[in-house]
Amino acid sequence: MNLEDLEKQVRLQEDIQEIENLQKIYGYYFDNNMWAEIIDLFSENAESVEIADHGLFKGKQGVRRIYWDMFAGGGNRQSPPWMQFVVMQIGGVVNVGSDGKTATGRWQTWLFEAKPYGALPRQEFLHGYYENKYVKENGKWLFTKLYWNNTFCSPVEQGWLNLPEMGWMPLPDADQPPTAFHPYPYHRGNVPYHFKHPITGK
Amino acid sequence: MTLVELEKQVTRLEDIQEIENLQKIYGYYFDLGMYQEVMDLFSENVESVEITDHGVFRGKDAVSRMYGGMVGMQRPGWMFFEIMQSQGVVDIAPDGKTATGRWYTPAFECRPFGGVKKQTWEFGVYDNVYVKENGRWYFKKLHWNLIYWTSYESGFLKVPKLSDTPFPHADAPATAYHPYPSGYHVPYPFKHPVTGK
Repeated sequence: MNLEDLEKQVRLQEDIQEIENLQKIYGYYFDNNMWAEIIDLFSENAESVEIADHGLFKGKQGVRRIYWDMFAGGGNRQSPPWMQFVVMQIGGVVNVGSDGKTATGRWQTWLFEAKPYGALPRQEFLHGYYENKYVKENGKWLFTKLYWNNTFCSPVEQGWLNLPEMGWMPLPDADQPPTAFHPYPYHRGNVPYHFKHPITGK
Repeated sequence: MTLVELEKQVTRLEDIQEIENLQKIYGYYFDLGMYQEVMDLFSENVESVEITDHGVFRGKDAVSRMYGGMVGMQRPGWMFFEIMQSQGVVDIAPDGKTATGRWYTPAFECRPFGGVKKQTWEFGVYDNVYVKENGRWYFKKLHWNLIYWTSYESGFLKVPKLSDTPFPHADAPATAYHPYPSGYHVPYPFKHPVTGK
């Protein structure tokens, strides 16, 4: 192998590592309501963000609308300490395109949430899958598309069997309704795998 | 460092990456009941498959005897197995041809239990062996040891396991089935990273 080929292979490993960190750091910022920091993880040419049944938000403007205008309340929202969104980023399978400029990643997530529902604090377990797209610009990896679909969002007291989805949360200023929001027990196959079978290639 | 040495180091990192993907993709296929795709992840020279107390399945047809009966089986939407492949520690042997991997698996499940739908938590440990053949990594040995399997409502302290599930056509009984609260730990395949012990 010549040095140039080897460099390429090393770069691929570095790219995967950097994308894995990007995704996990997104999760850590999310845990801590750091919405401005999250917006900065997205490319200026971002394609879209879609989270659960909030709807599809297009472009970098859409990224700002969902995380800043909605989640951060325009910067005015103060969350009480008991409110939490712990999102564990698990099982990442990241594939970098042959040109080294784009990548896709599948992850699953387990969440421990506490938020007001009606007027009462509620604790919930959630599960869901990401199929995300990343882009390398000026030597750094950024999100270009984030898609998270929700398997269930259930009160801790009841579980997914008794109450798979404890409320609907479409956001009023989305560009489009959610593309494939069908929670448990209709969740199967809503987030298709981007990867080929590692052995058969199918 | 020479180019040859550097190549070796890069290959080792690629190997770890490929094995991690193999394990995680196994999990994703399992979630969707894609058992033919699961079976295709195993080497033709598979040693054994052992899952919870189902027993040990050995030899070349171990994989088809373990998973083959489930290929194409239709499951209702509410019946599910979300198994999270977490915290993998993968070590490549010095010859670069075999590897070991230990993983944790928290899991959400829902399945029929005595005619009733039951939601359950499972937790266990993988202790797997992988092999590189024709430039690709495969499972050579899969062993998943159960720590608890409990109803959602009761929790592992009250109900560590819901029932026994041995498979009658296994080659041998389970080798290391000691659920909570036995205190048993599947032995680690790895050495201490600092002391080497």
